Amino acid sequence: MKLGTIGAVTGWLLVFLSVALLLPIGFSLYYHDGNAWVFIVSSLSGASLGGLLAWSCLPGREIGHREGFAIVGLAWLAAAALGALPYYLSGAIPSYLDAYFEAMSGFTTTGSTILERVEILGPGLLFWRALTHWLGGMGIIVLSIAILPVLGIGGMQLFQAEMPGPTKDRLAPRIQDTARILWGVYVLYTLGEVILLMLSGMDFFDAICHSFATLATGGFSTRTASVGGFGSPLIDYIIVIFMILAGMNFSLHHRLFKGDFKAVIKNEELKFYLGMGTGATLLIMVVNYLSHTYGSLGESLRFSSFQVWSILTTTGFGTADFDKWSPVCRFALVTLMFIGGMAGSTGGGIKQVRILLFWKFTRMQIRKLIHPRAVEAIKLDGRRVPAEVMQSILGYLSLYLVVFVVATLIVTGQGVDILTGSTAVIATLNNIGPGLAGVGATQNFAGIPALSKVVLILCMVAGRLELYTLAVLVVPEYWKGTDLPRWRWQGRRG
Amino acid sequence: MRIVIMGAGEVGRHLCQQLSLEDHEVVLIDRNPEHLRRVERELNILAIEGNGASAKVLEQAEISKADLFIAVTDIDEVNLIACIMAKQYGVLRRVARVRNKEYLAADSPVNEHRLGIDLLINPDQVMAQEILKISRVSEAFEIVDFAHGEVLLVGYHIKEGNPTCGITLADLRALKGLYDFVVVAIVRSGNTIIPRGSERIQADDRLYLVVQREDMAAVEGLLNVRSHLPKRVFIIGGGQVGLEVAKGLEKERVDVFLVESDVRRCELLAEWLDNTVVLNFDGLDAQDLISEGIDKADLLIAVTNGDTTNILASLLAKHHGAHKCITRISRPDFIPLLGKLGIDVALSARLVAANMILRFVRRGVILSVATLLGSDAEVVEFVVSERWAYAGNRLKSIHFPLGANVGAIIRGGDVVIPSGDTVLAAGDRLIIFTIKKAVPMVEELLSS
Repeated sequence: MKLGTIGAVTGWLLVFLSVALLLPIGFSLYYHDGNAWVFIVSSLSGASLGGLLAWSCLPGREIGHREGFAIVGLAWLAAAALGALPYYLSGAIPSYLDAYFEAMSGFTTTGSTILERVEILGPGLLFWRALTHWLGGMGIIVLSIAILPVLGIGGMQLFQAEMPGPTKDRLAPRIQDTARILWGVYVLYTLGEVILLMLSGMDFFDAICHSFATLATGGFSTRTASVGGFGSPLIDYIIVIFMILAGMNFSLHHRLFKGDFKAVIKNEELKFYLGMGTGATLLIMVVNYLSHTYGSLGESLRFSSFQVWSILTTTGFGTADFDKWSPVCRFALVTLMFIGGMAGSTGGGIKQVRILLFWKFTRMQIRKLIHPRAVEAIKLDGRRVPAEVMQSILGYLSLYLVVFVVATLIVTGQGVDILTGSTAVIATLNNIGPGLAGVGATQNFAGIPALSKVVLILCMVAGRLELYTLAVLVVPEYWKGTDLPRWRWQGRRG
Repeated sequence: MRIVIMGAGEVGRHLCQQLSLEDHEVVLIDRNPEHLRRVERELNILAIEGNGASAKVLEQAEISKADLFIAVTDIDEVNLIACIMAKQYGVLRRVARVRNKEYLAADSPVNEHRLGIDLLINPDQVMAQEILKISRVSEAFEIVDFAHGEVLLVGYHIKEGNPTCGITLADLRALKGLYDFVVVAIVRSGNTIIPRGSERIQADDRLYLVVQREDMAAVEGLLNVRSHLPKRVFIIGGGQVGLEVAKGLEKERVDVFLVESDVRRCELLAEWLDNTVVLNFDGLDAQDLISEGIDKADLLIAVTNGDTTNILASLLAKHHGAHKCITRISRPDFIPLLGKLGIDVALSARLVAANMILRFVRRGVILSVATLLGSDAEVVEFVVSERWAYAGNRLKSIHFPLGANVGAIIRGGDVVIPSGDTVLAAGDRLIIFTIKKAVPMVEELLSS
């Protein structure tokens, strides 16, 4: 493993983010929020630091299997460090740790906030918050692969490490083209939502911020009351539809555009995902109606469907305070938090396909008891799921459980109550946003102790990069045989 | 007619036998001199050693004089190439055996039309279809479609204790009431009898009747045999045939258990099948079969590649309570034994495939042909055209060759029992029973 490669790629990535940091300036100037200088300073410091790193480290010939994990893991930590600068410099968030929390919550599309009232940030910073979602949603690395030619060789390693899901579809022979296709679909849907939201009465600024947050399944809104602040059923339903789309596998969208409806209709994971969302919506709608939480069935449908899809796709927008719903509804929502969107979507969580395959695996074990000599295959879309994939899913689930338990132990160990502490971990580990009780839909993460915030930040990255990528970095064996970077002034060897 | 056959396997040998009996000039090409010597000794044919996909060998077989080329080696590609070459030599009709299903699909880039081959056959697939057809009617041991499936030739085994034993066919006819059916043949201890009204049904007879599809249930009631769709089916042998049959039965919501002894194959089968329980043990392992519930099975289908395994597995399953069995047999030597052993239905892949080829070869006047297993009879279906020399004549004025008989006439969907005075009209379908030796004469008569 070569640290030089890691340094060079991370440097390039920071330069790239510095360019993105210039985008909010337009809104800052237009709305006169006085934060334009913040973005210029952040961008310059990011560009100079990144440029220096990229210039001084001589990269190896290609990105190897092992470098991939380190690059993706470190790139995400570095991106949030740079992304936190505007919040900190503007003085809106006085503590750098809080700013880092907010930035990481943005990049990992979590949507948990430490702000009491988000309006104090001003349009420039609010746009930056939404932009971090949007960049992180499809993946900063995947975007870089699509744009930067340096990452061409070995890009598959990075792609593997960043894209969610147990198996990755390769849509084109070249990895750059696959990344471009995914980003193309992503941009197209974002534009579509912006237009629809503007037609239903939002202004351009709100529309673009909410579209970024929806497609990335992030959850940062421009208002403290989230989407509920707009009070429009039309906006609610438009966002529900785009949340559902964002929680779908993006290679399925690509197939849809190519007219391959058969493959989409037959997709087992899609059926499972839509079935689960619809079932949960119906259950919660009926319970909410019977418990007189909402007066009419229509109103109950509107609020139930919004919260269910918001939680299931791990977006985390809110139009209702589900902390006031009956216990069965709250428990159903917490269960959905673990499950998350489809593999290859921008959503977090364990992912639909893992749950589906785990269920099939369990069913097979039971059937094996009835027919001891039977040979069975676990199939997905009519094709056998290789044993390695099955094993990696089982390993993933147990690792997930361990991370959840350890993180909750630390957070509750600092005196946070069980419900707040455990749902805070669930909400960050699954990249959702709000939890229950102290971190519920109308609350925020400001009151969590500092160490717990660090743990939650790590949960966010671990959840976004699907555990293995980050877990491998903390294993000492991984770092054995590491080559120190060769600096440019040392010259190339041989 | 000069016929060149490539491949002296089971199907090839059977075709040689059939076609040479019918007095055709048959040339057989095979790479294995041992196979050739044996066939040459038994049959009146010319054998040539060599690879059939080589121009030299084909020229040696005087391919340009041939009217029909049949490629039935074990290798798909050799069969296809040989047929394409035969076309270049101007052979009128070409038949190839192909196992790979990709070549058989209608949307395949290399199906028979594109390759200029007249008939592609897959013996395994044909056999699987045959098994599925029989398994739907659990009591019959043989079913042949006529008139696009509206009329069936069905074979029933009359077991000891059946109330119809001892009844004459004339009495049975009086009993039958409104239903149209005709007993067209009885196979009794290996001999095929074309029965008259005074013939008495005896225990262990195999009755062949022609019946309309819709009347089948009523006729089965009359004969005291009852058919219903099987609910629990065991298939021994997960080869191509076993797989196809399992796929077909799965669709009809039957509980299918597929037993295969090779683990690797089991894994593939489990991947290809959806609701079938794929079991990995030897089909002769009684303990495992019983624990999976063989005693409650309605049907056992033994389709491994070994005849002995198939026969033994069938007997074992029947002993433990399986209701009926369908057994795949490739060696003709065993066929006379099967009835005595208690095997209900025996099917031979080579017969099934050869039937299809024969049907194709005689296409023109004859619509379909079926060889009845365990008897020397063949059944042919023939449509009377206006141009036929005997159209409009009484049946008795037509001199059918010895050993051939019109068993039934299908006229406008009804089954008519022919008498000597029946006048044949254009559009009638004749179901003719004939012994094999008489086939060429029947053909000649029908083409006049």
